[in-house]
Amino acid sequence: MATLLIEIGCEELPAAACHEALGQLPELCRHVLGAKPSRVLVTPRRLAVLVEDVPERTPDKWVKGPPVKVAEQAAAGFAKRHGIAVEELETRDGFLGVEVPGRLLAEVLPEKLDTILRGLSFSKTMRWNGGGLRFPRPLRWTLAMVDADRIMGDGSYGHRFTSGAIAVPEASAYLDVLRGADVEPDAEERRRQIVEALDAVGGWSDPNGVLEEVVFLVEHPVVIDGRFDDRYLQLPSRVIEMTIQTHVRAFPLGENRFAFVANGGEPETVRAGVENVVEGRLEDASFTFERDVKVGIDALAEHLGSITFFAGAGSFADKTERLAKLVQALGGGEAALEAARLAKADQASELVREFPELEGHVGAEYARLAGYPEAVSAAIDEQYLPDGAAAPLPQTETGRVLSAADKIDTLNVSFGLGQRPTGSRDPYGLRRAAIGLDRLATEGKLAIPRSLMASEVGEFVEERFEGLLDVPVEYVRAARRASVRDLGGVARLAEALATLPDERFGPIHTAYTRAARLAEKEEGAEAELDPALLLEPAEVEVAQALERVDPEIAAALDAGDFGAAVEAAAELGPLLDKFFEDVLVVADDRAVRANRLRLLLSVRDTLGRLGELSQIPRS
Amino acid sequence: MIAALQDYWAQRGAVIMQPYHTELGAGTSNPATFLRVLDPSQKEWRAAYVEPVIRPTDGRYGENPFRFQHYFQYQVILKPAPEDVLDQYFGSLHALGIDLRRHDIRLVEDDWEQPTLGAWGLGWEVWCDAMEVTQFTYFQQLGGIDLEVIPAEMTYGLERLALFLQGKKSVFDLEWAPGVTWGDVYRENERQWSRYNYEEAPVDVLERRFDEHEAEAEELLDKGLPLPAYDQVLKSSHAFNLLDARGALSVTERAAYIGRVRKLARRFAQLYVGADGDAPD
Repeated sequence: MATLLIEIGCEELPAAACHEALGQLPELCRHVLGAKPSRVLVTPRRLAVLVEDVPERTPDKWVKGPPVKVAEQAAAGFAKRHGIAVEELETRDGFLGVEVPGRLLAEVLPEKLDTILRGLSFSKTMRWNGGGLRFPRPLRWTLAMVDADRIMGDGSYGHRFTSGAIAVPEASAYLDVLRGADVEPDAEERRRQIVEALDAVGGWSDPNGVLEEVVFLVEHPVVIDGRFDDRYLQLPSRVIEMTIQTHVRAFPLGENRFAFVANGGEPETVRAGVENVVEGRLEDASFTFERDVKVGIDALAEHLGSITFFAGAGSFADKTERLAKLVQALGGGEAALEAARLAKADQASELVREFPELEGHVGAEYARLAGYPEAVSAAIDEQYLPDGAAAPLPQTETGRVLSAADKIDTLNVSFGLGQRPTGSRDPYGLRRAAIGLDRLATEGKLAIPRSLMASEVGEFVEERFEGLLDVPVEYVRAARRASVRDLGGVARLAEALATLPDERFGPIHTAYTRAARLAEKEEGAEAELDPALLLEPAEVEVAQALERVDPEIAAALDAGDFGAAVEAAAELGPLLDKFFEDVLVVADDRAVRANRLRLLLSVRDTLGRLGELSQIPRS
Repeated sequence: MIAALQDYWAQRGAVIMQPYHTELGAGTSNPATFLRVLDPSQKEWRAAYVEPVIRPTDGRYGENPFRFQHYFQYQVILKPAPEDVLDQYFGSLHALGIDLRRHDIRLVEDDWEQPTLGAWGLGWEVWCDAMEVTQFTYFQQLGGIDLEVIPAEMTYGLERLALFLQGKKSVFDLEWAPGVTWGDVYRENERQWSRYNYEEAPVDVLERRFDEHEAEAEELLDKGLPLPAYDQVLKSSHAFNLLDARGALSVTERAAYIGRVRKLARRFAQLYVGADGDAPD
């Protein structure tokens, strides 16, 4: 058994490509080399695998030929294909065949390496003048070794600037040799070193998630802390964080400090340079910030008429008007209305043009500087929340109202223009908006009238509950057909239906389903129930119960007491069981029959207040 | 600095070219890069030159120390990209006096795309102690056409590089010559041109000029004269940039103008590549 090393040397790979390679190499190597690598080592300049205990020969392989029965016709051809005489063919289990001997690993390695290179799939590749292979960046060297034997390539390369070509005496020494040449080949270890050094500096954060990129920007991580002039602290903190993270891939340490992960160099020199760059970027941002502040948020809001919100849906001024109406319909107070008026003002600011990700935060900061109450600026700040499946909801009531208004408008407008998300394509983040609305209605307990959403939008938004709620999807589908005013009611009703014990839910489910089916099929139901025609005690009881229960259910639904509504409906269960047992609906007497059908229609309508119960499958 | 770069690349066989004579938004548009790279009959080409770039929307009235409507790039194009192209590039930094072992130098993924020229490539920003000093690109497509021979383009931001070398915080404070700063030379220029670009450039004249340049380019392409046509494409592109800076274009108008420039560039590229015999060698 031997140790195998394969190293593919590249020009600096993008972090995303490193992640892709890291994910695919174990399985790909197992498939191609017949053994899983013990180490997969990825840096921006190399993809390497170490495989321990590889057999030095590939296994012998039995190639099955024609059955012995037809040997006369087929044996000659088969033997010729394998370059041997017919007499040399062996027989196993009634078939002729040939044992193809395994080959030396060293011999097959070049083709295996080629298979690995072609087997990696990257989302973005390029061509260079290096043959037909496409790869994320040009390949510059390969090294393949079995123990101390170099099969391909002469050696490896250490750190780009502090080291050079290096010899690898044997495969198992690879890690140590590279570490001696200022390269930490193991991504996991680099991450650990970076985090440990950041922890030692203390107070670091990574709001934009650049750590995963930084791990693949360096081969020799050195964490350096720096600071910038206090005067830039006038900038909104998110602007400072964003500047530090996106322009320098550094980590904010709070106040005027940050930590930068260098790939080498003299710490003092690098620190001075990076501090200079950070200050330059902050100076740039300050310049823009001061110009915006001089204009002021109210004047910025005046410019919204000239900025298109969505082709075909007018400008941001139009959107602002619609937001104000929606905020009112959502019961927002004066602060929410004021926030709606200013919500999109930052779209006219230079700072948002520079940092589009900071929309909302910038407007909030400008509103604060203009002296608006905290409720107003907080709402502007939070209007895009929640911006992810697990992201927090707005903390303030005004924020929740504004956020819901913004999402309803975006959905209504987009669907109105035929921009429905399809498959994985959702360029406007409409799924996220819909899920956000659902969460505002449930977790945020915001009353969102279903009537505010265009019917297609309502469908789309309520369908999202199927994935969000912890109840079988059929309960959601049933509840969506209920006469419930608010979006959140649909969710709570679905949950109430799902919590009703089976023995109580069974009878009303059966009754609803049977009543709906019979009432649908049979024609000639009376318009009004005639109490005089109710002959059997069971039907009289049902009719009486309905008169009492129907308004109860309606009132409970109106009050948002879904548990009570479901309970009230469940009371009908035993009576309906009895009804179906004792009463023949399709009676001979036409008048009696029409009256019973009427009664069943009423049963369906009353239970139907809770939704389309037949959607729920029952065993 | 420029002399050191000229010297370095001349030694490596690059033809030292001069800036082009009409406004360009990037050194890439100079025929010494764009046309040579596009031309499939030109299997080998190495050139290096300074290019003043004109970007009307980047003007800041000489008030922002990092944004200008006029600045300098140093452009190197190597076709085909040699295997040791990165080593050659890092050698040029060394030649500028940057000690590569003392600084943190790295390549950060940055892909390049210029839709108006139907062009894209993959490459990096080169960072020296986090200062972006060069854009490095392996061109893949130009004028909507896949390139047969892949070139490497290096665009040095001269002002940025000078900030780094001189340890200055503002481009205006860069020492241009002993006792003369960048600001002394160009600040007033920035003030006046920013005012022109944003406030005074005559919209109706620019619109007319765009139409004229476009029509002339089409006509020249019809007559099989791609080289003069290319100048007209550049001029129409500049007219568009000015209209954009003047804020004279709505979103849809803007998209329409970009579409017209792209269409011209594409037509030019096809004719130029097809007209092998007529292309310069």
